[in-house]
Amino acid sequence: MTSLRPRLLAAASLSVALTFAGTLMTGTVLAAPTGVMTVATIGEPPSLDPMSTTADLVGTITQHVFETLYAFDANWTLKPLLAAGEPVVTDEGKVWTIPLRSGVKFHDGSAMGGEDVLASVKRWLAVSPRGKTVAAVLEEVSVVDGKALRFTLKKPFAPLGSLLAFNNGAAVMMPKAQAEAEGPLKTFIGTGPFRLVEHKPDQYIRLEAFADYASPAGEASGYAGKREAKVAELRFVPTPNAVTRLEGALSGQFLYSDALPTEMKARINGKPGVKPVVVKPFAWPFMIMNNKEGSLANATLRRAIQSALAPEDMLMAAFGDPEFFAVNGPFYGKGAALASTKGAETFGAADAAKAKVLAKGAGYKGEPIRIMTSTQYDFLYKMSLVAQQQLEDAGFKVDLQVLDWATLVQRRNDPKQWDALFTYHTFVPEPSLITIMNPAYAGWWDTPEKAAALDAFNSDANPSTRAVLWGNLQDVFFKQAPTLKIGEFYSLAATSEKVEGLNPAPWPYFWNVSVK
Amino acid sequence: MAAYVVRRLLSMLVVMCLVAVVVFIVARVVPGDPAAVMLGTSATPEDVAALRARLGLDQPLLTQFGLFALQIVTGDLGESIFLNKPVLTAIAERSELTLLLATMAVMVSVAVGVPVGVISAVRRGTAVDQAVIAGAMLAASLPSFWIGLTLIRWFAVNLGWFPVSGYGEPGAGLLERMHHLVLPALALGIPNSAIITRFTRSSMLDVLTEDYVRTARAKGLPTHRVVLKHGLRNAMIPILTVVGLTLAVLIGGAIVTETVFGLPGAGNLIVSAVLRRDYPVIQGALLIISGLYVLINLVIDLLYAVVDPRIRY
Repeated sequence: MTSLRPRLLAAASLSVALTFAGTLMTGTVLAAPTGVMTVATIGEPPSLDPMSTTADLVGTITQHVFETLYAFDANWTLKPLLAAGEPVVTDEGKVWTIPLRSGVKFHDGSAMGGEDVLASVKRWLAVSPRGKTVAAVLEEVSVVDGKALRFTLKKPFAPLGSLLAFNNGAAVMMPKAQAEAEGPLKTFIGTGPFRLVEHKPDQYIRLEAFADYASPAGEASGYAGKREAKVAELRFVPTPNAVTRLEGALSGQFLYSDALPTEMKARINGKPGVKPVVVKPFAWPFMIMNNKEGSLANATLRRAIQSALAPEDMLMAAFGDPEFFAVNGPFYGKGAALASTKGAETFGAADAAKAKVLAKGAGYKGEPIRIMTSTQYDFLYKMSLVAQQQLEDAGFKVDLQVLDWATLVQRRNDPKQWDALFTYHTFVPEPSLITIMNPAYAGWWDTPEKAAALDAFNSDANPSTRAVLWGNLQDVFFKQAPTLKIGEFYSLAATSEKVEGLNPAPWPYFWNVSVK
Repeated sequence: MAAYVVRRLLSMLVVMCLVAVVVFIVARVVPGDPAAVMLGTSATPEDVAALRARLGLDQPLLTQFGLFALQIVTGDLGESIFLNKPVLTAIAERSELTLLLATMAVMVSVAVGVPVGVISAVRRGTAVDQAVIAGAMLAASLPSFWIGLTLIRWFAVNLGWFPVSGYGEPGAGLLERMHHLVLPALALGIPNSAIITRFTRSSMLDVLTEDYVRTARAKGLPTHRVVLKHGLRNAMIPILTVVGLTLAVLIGGAIVTETVFGLPGAGNLIVSAVLRRDYPVIQGALLIISGLYVLINLVIDLLYAVVDPRIRY
């Protein structure tokens, strides 16, 4: 009779040896992804094509499926994601050469190559609102030896790197065939740590961990660095009712509930198993003024309005708790690469008497100021009520038009229909991505001083001088008052204590997140 | 009977044509633009105009209506702008939930409303009757979203007996899906049970004073037989009408409840379509709901003859 013992010992030794060899090859042993991370979102995304729309919700979901060449780290500086390194900028800022990573696989198993990247970028230039900004200054885009992407620009354009990193209206990489298909995207194959499994509109979007995911190198930081799908499934559940999102978090049905009204924090505090998440930075509330037509095309009258309004009162009415807002004039505060207080020195100093003098000087004769607002965003509505009162106190006649959001979004494109509107802008690390910097965007801020300051800022890729140039542009912004920036506000979310590794972010991400 | 049915079906056709015109006008009169919603807040007017042209929204309204009318005639309600699927498919997918929810809610309403209404009528003028009247008034006054949120707080969050929202895990079976619908059905069913209670009470009060009921009592029949067989059966016509109308209302009116409970039903589809200005879905859903409403009314009228043999068409 032959003993089994030597064979078992040999098999066990081989198994240990193979495991050890695998560990040496990969550098680490990754635990298999487990669990389901359920995320309650504010609703159904209008699309799953991250290029075609700038809707935040689309970016939040699709950033798990699709990836860009660069990503922002925790300090909002650019780090390579699908790029192999920093861009090499030559010819006085007009030629950008971006090395591409090798060994990256798409969710269909094919390897990402230069032709895929080129086709994706061409699609982005054609369909994305952000890509079109680049297309306007682009001479040519090409692939060099299949290993690098080269942008040849008509003039230096420093925001290119940031535009290639943003996750909505995003320059994401996809297989060539998908990128060149006619019409809206019908397949959603990307390179991200999760792949799309199922989309049932208004019910859920299911993503599952992508086994062949190739993570970028480096420590995880913000949206950059190491990415690992630690949960087997990521499920986004559209839940438009905020109370339902909250109750779902409290009951444990949702492990993350996004965008809760700030007054709900009291209900989360002290509840077992759930904790509040305050997202900083999050957004800037704006009162955009019509620079093109109507009474507010007059810059002096806009400054009168600026003087009449007290941002602190508006923020307090909107959010109640100072934990959720800051009465900040500058767009970028201390610690940010673009921090500058230039132009914002007198921010927040409301002065009704000064407003009256300025209005008189502008020839204001009591024409109604048509302000569009919406109850769909309660905080904007509350701000607009305070603004109405303060403007009336300063002698203005106000026609406050309360509309549903879709109507407001439609009407804002017609300069004949409004004088001012309330909206908000999610924090962006690159000023050129702020919508109001685009002269074609509602508000139509298009003056020679602004164009010169923006051009100077966009032409300089040097980080040390960009902060100064941004300060100059911000100075023009506060002097011409095309839009009123009403401080900044933060967002509230709720997460289960079972969730580990979550970092608060304006567009929450769930790679490197596990569920106990 | 056949002639009556044909006559009613023809009048139904006229009603549906009128509904189609009204639905088209209402959808277009409301300001808002699907292209602007799709592209997000950073889109420029040029981007929006280009997408409008691609979706055919830049065509004159008369051309768009002609296309819509042609689609109805061919039994095709067009394609959803957002869902990238035919409107009929989208509505069919969502209707299962809404029909199930409406049926469960009607069952709750009937299970509560009819017995309570009968008891109230039998105990007319007593404290029980007064309590029922007051309770019915209160229940009818409570908005279903408030009832829904209260049920969620107690039975989903505090007790953990039911889920807060949704329609079950992917691949959920019928039982799990029904489990998700218990609280919404209660939220919808409770206010409607008050209406059924009051109709049952009033109808029973009329019937219980009839001569044949007195005769039945005089014959020595037990009270429960007098009330249920001679009373309730004859009181059923107005009750049946209300139950039918309740079902019709719930099919089209579960919108708020579906939103509160995050249910992907037809109501939710309509809300989303309105917010996104998804015209083909708004038009298609309203047409179908109107059609169902008219059809349910017809079925109720025909049921009268079944319940009451004296009625002939």
